[in-house]
This record gives sequence, structure tokens and C-alpha cells, in this order.
Amino acid sequence: MPSASEPTTAPATTSPATVPPTGAATTGRRSVDRVVKVVAVLLLAAAVLSFPSLAPNPYILSAGVVVLNFAVLSTSWNFVGGFTGYISLGHGALAGLGGYGTALLVTKAGLPSFVALVVAALLVAALAVPIGFAALRVRGASFVIVSIALVLILLLVFQSWASLTGGSRGLVVPRPFPDLLRPEHHRVFYYLFAGLLALALLAWWSIDRSRFGLGLKAIREDEDKAEALGTPTFAYKLVVFVVSAAFTALGGGLYALWFGDLDPVFQFSILTGSYLVLMALLGGVRNLFGPLVGALIVGIGLEYFKVEFGDTQLHLVATGLLLALVVLFMPDGVLPAIGSLLGRLRPAQSSIREVTAAELREQRAAAAGVPAAREPVDAAAGSRPESTREGTA
Amino acid sequence: MPSGALLFQSIILGLLLGGLYALLAAGLTLYFGIMRVVMIAHSAFLILAAYLAWWSHTRLGVDPLLSMIVTVPLFFACGVLLQRVLLARLRPVTLTMMSVLLTFAIAVLIEGLLGYVFTGTQRRIQLGYGSASFGIFGARVAVVKLIAFGLAAVALLTLYLLMKKTTFGWALRATIQHRDAARLVGIETERVAGYGFGLGLATAAIGGTALALDTTIYPSLHWHWIGPLMAIIVVGGLGSVPGAAMAAMVLGMLQSLLQIPLGTTWAQTIFYLALFATLAFRPQGFFGGRLAQRF
Repeated sequence: MPSASEPTTAPATTSPATVPPTGAATTGRRSVDRVVKVVAVLLLAAAVLSFPSLAPNPYILSAGVVVLNFAVLSTSWNFVGGFTGYISLGHGALAGLGGYGTALLVTKAGLPSFVALVVAALLVAALAVPIGFAALRVRGASFVIVSIALVLILLLVFQSWASLTGGSRGLVVPRPFPDLLRPEHHRVFYYLFAGLLALALLAWWSIDRSRFGLGLKAIREDEDKAEALGTPTFAYKLVVFVVSAAFTALGGGLYALWFGDLDPVFQFSILTGSYLVLMALLGGVRNLFGPLVGALIVGIGLEYFKVEFGDTQLHLVATGLLLALVVLFMPDGVLPAIGSLLGRLRPAQSSIREVTAAELREQRAAAAGVPAAREPVDAAAGSRPESTREGTA
Repeated sequence: MPSGALLFQSIILGLLLGGLYALLAAGLTLYFGIMRVVMIAHSAFLILAAYLAWWSHTRLGVDPLLSMIVTVPLFFACGVLLQRVLLARLRPVTLTMMSVLLTFAIAVLIEGLLGYVFTGTQRRIQLGYGSASFGIFGARVAVVKLIAFGLAAVALLTLYLLMKKTTFGWALRATIQHRDAARLVGIETERVAGYGFGLGLATAAIGGTALALDTTIYPSLHWHWIGPLMAIIVVGGLGSVPGAAMAAMVLGMLQSLLQIPLGTTWAQTIFYLALFATLAFRPQGFFGGRLAQRF
């Protein structure tokens, strides 16, 4: 199983100091890569932050909020889906729980909106422990079944328990900023969602670089081997599931505060969960920004279908077709696909050196002034990142 | 305490419902046994068959049962194509997860197309014998429910005989047990796997026709079926046909009995409770064998 996430993370984790001086060309390319990456992230952040002032009307701005909400949820999904490879179709239900939890804490317990949001997320995280305990004891197929069952059972409960949840009549959530006009309200929530997204991305990024993340990826590649090597697989899966649930609940709760009206049919819908999976897969589950890119594509597509075709079922057809195409032809997502395309345009990389061993020794001695005894170590250290890059080209 | 007649009625209804569950769960179990595929689209095909039965009755004026002459071969062909053209393309390493997504996509596609072609209006077949019923020991049993049960029972029996008595059945079971070994003794496992999928989907055609006889159908109905069916195959132990049939009868009966004190909506939760209880205490299911251990 080729791991596409390694090339994107490997250059970042190797600091220039550890790179042997001989790999001058490699170091150069790597630092260029890093500059490109930093600039791309800055550009992305600038584009996201400047969107509200560029949006021509409040509708476009509200669509932007919806897309950002999807990006938050999809990134949260990717904590489980991307690291461990366990595909959950039930994350829509966790978002729904976050939304209803926030709404009920505001209306019934009288908590301030944002305190309720955090408390609800903590409650959902606590609830995710027993859910994860049942779901993660089994692999693959059963996990998906449990995640689907979770959505269906919560839909049943929230529709039937009308005295608490309002049932199908819906639940109105009081606005946190009652005196704001609607466009201003959208703008404030746009920035709130952007902040939450940044937080989720930061958490994903730091797990990606940690030992914990390494263990999770080992589970994804081969769970039996990971377990045999001493990775506490069950504990790792459970922890990351709870983290994912907490972020999902925050996203759902923020949506509830923004939208102001909850209906079980939309909050506990398998379709929402499948959108999240589609976004993450489309963008690339092994990439930090994969779910965000997927959310941009799918979220904008969904809004377009809503405007063009209204209430017809065509958006389901489009979703189904897109999901099938992604699964069949692009299971690694667009970001790795673009990456490999760029890699093909670059000068071909190979592990064959175009210098003789003698020249190499001279170069090395000249560049570092290191005694010859250390050379083999350097050579080994220098050639290894090179060969891991090979797999992706 | 409900009266004896009501209890008896519930038991009969539970049996009849359990029969239909058992047939559909048998199809799901076949897919899982053959390729470790969890076929989310199974219940979407079920509703598709129900719509075809409804359509042939209202537009063509034929008895819905006759629609099976077309739908069963059609679904068999669909199943073979689905396995050979789509599922066989997926990478073996991620097959289980990706096949879930692929069949999910097919389910959503079918739901969307049904909604587009037939609109979201609820449909029901009006049959001459639709309201006929007869009484035994104070319980009233609708004729259509009995026909549905009969269909399911005959189909299950046929499937059983096919699996146990025919050469194809041997080959199929060998493929399920050990694919490589089956290939070594000369079984064309690819072709057998395709036919196995066809058989599984044919159960959805029969089940859908049986469902259309006495149920109001609408495009998103399949979500109400997939949950219970998934619960049944996990409780029964993934990959075990007798386990699935047994779990289907038990859970169908429990659902029917719980409807008396709890009402129809809350009675459905029994499936999910059973699912979570099974996973928490006996993840391999109650009848599962070697296969279920790892899934």
C-alpha cells in the first residue's frame, strides 16, 4: 500500500540541520517545496479570510458559511477516516448531537450560547467513549454498520421524543447575538467557523507529526502488525474517535447557533455523513487540506444544485455518481493526483547518482570537512529520503 | 397484559415479518461471504423491485407477482454486472471500506432516480385480494402477508437447496470458505462470485415484490430497511446464512411483540439495541464462524 501522505509530511519533519550537506540539490528543492507550501497556506488563509468582504450578497456569504461548516465537519471526520482508515458514515449524527446538545443547553438549562457549545461538545465526546467502545472492537464492515445504525437510532429517538426535542416540528435555537442584522450575523459566524477550522487543522497537523499519529497510521496500513509491534491499537483508535467526535460536535453546535432551527431529519441524516466522507475522499484523506478542498468542491456543487434544481432528487443522483467515480477511479483524492501530476512535470528523479564515488567523496569532504569515517552514515541518511520520494513520482 | 388473541396475532405477524427479513438477510450474507462486501444498496434494490411491481400493476395492469418474471432475472444480471464490473475493480486491501462507499453511492443513486422518475409521492398497490384476511384462533391474518411470507419461504428454501444440492452450490460454498483453495481444485471463482452476487440481488427482487403487496412505498424507504437488516447480519454473525435467518426470525418476532407496549417507532430500537449489545459482548455474533471473528 503506497502511502501518499508521507511525501507531504516527510520534508516538513526533517529539519535542514539533519540533512547531509551533500544533498545540496535535494535540500534546495526541499526548501523550495517548503516555501511553496507556506505561501500556499498563507494564500489559502488570505482567501478564506477575505471572502466575506468580497461576497456580493448575503446569500453568497451564507453559502460560504455552509461550505466552511462542511470543511470543519469533514476535517473532523478525517481524524478517524484519514489516520486509522476506519470509514464512518455516522459522523452526521455526532454533528447533530452537538447541535441538539447546544440548543437544549441554551433553551432548557439557560446556559450562555458559547458555554453551551463547549459543554455540548464535551458531553458528545463523553458519549463517544461507549459508542467507540462498541464500534471499534470490530473492524471494517461492522464499524460501518454501527456508524449507520447510530444515525438511524438517533433519528428515531429525536423524532419520537417530541416533548424534549420538538420532534419533527423542529427546535428553535435562540441567537447568540440577537441585535445583529442578518448579513452581519453571517459574517460573524463565518469567522467563527474559520477559527474552528483552523483549530481542527492545527490539531490534525500536530497529530500527523506525533508518535500517536504514527501509531494510528500503522493501524491504517496493517492493524495486526501494528498490534504485534506493541501499538496499543484499541486505545489509540478510541482516543482519536473521541477527539474526532468532539470537533464534529463543535461544528454541529456552531451550525445550530448560526442556523437557529433544527430538524431531526436533517440533523440525523446518513446523507450528511456521506457528504463528509465524499469530501474527504475527494480531496484526499491523507492530506491535511484534503477535506477542505473536497468541502469546497462538494459544498459549492451542492449549493449550485439547490439553486438550479430546487427540490428534485437530482442532487442525490449527482452525489451518488460522484461518490462512485471517486471510489472507483480516485480513491486517493485530487490533491495526491495533482501532486503526482506535478511530480511528473519535474525533472525525473532517480536514485542513480550522476557522479562517481570518488567525486562524491571529494564533494563531501569539501562541503563539510568531515573525516572519511563518517561517510557511510551520511550516505545512508542522504539516500533514504530520496528513495521514499521515489514511490510517489 | 395484552389479551391472548392480541399476543397470538403479534406472534403470527412477527413470524411473517421475520420470514421476509430472513430472505433479505440471506442475500446480504451471501455478498459478505463471497467478497467481504457490506452491500448497503441491498435495500435500495428492494425498494426498486417494489416500485417495478407497483408500476407493472398500475401501468400494465398485471398482478404484481407476475413482475417477478422480469425483475428476478433482471436483478440477477445486475448483481453479476455489479460484481464483475464494479466491485472487482476495487483494491483488495481496502475492499471492505471502499465497497461500502460504492454500494452506498449506488443506493443513493437508486433513491435519487426513483424520486426523479416516480416523484416522492407515497405509492400503494390496490389489489382485489388486498383486504382479504382469515382468522385462526382469534387472530386475523391478511392474505397478502401470508403470500409475502410464502414467497420468502419458497425463495429461502430454493436458495438452501441450490447451495446444498447442486454443483454450483458446492462451488459457491467452496469459494466462500477458501477462495484460493477453490481455485486450486478448478473452480472458476470469479464467475462463481459473480453468480453469487446475482443470487443475492435476486432475493432483493423477490423481497421487493413481497414488500410491495402490503406496504406503502416511497423512495427513501430503504433507510428503514437497511438498519434492521444490518443489525440482523451482525447479530447472526457476519457470513452465516443460518445465523442470519435465525436472528431475523428472533428479532422480527421481538419487534412485533414490542409493538404492543411501545408502539411501532420505539419497537424498531430493538434492532439497534441488539446490535450494540452483540458488539459489546459478543462481537463475532451469535452464530458466526471463522469469518465473523475479524469483521
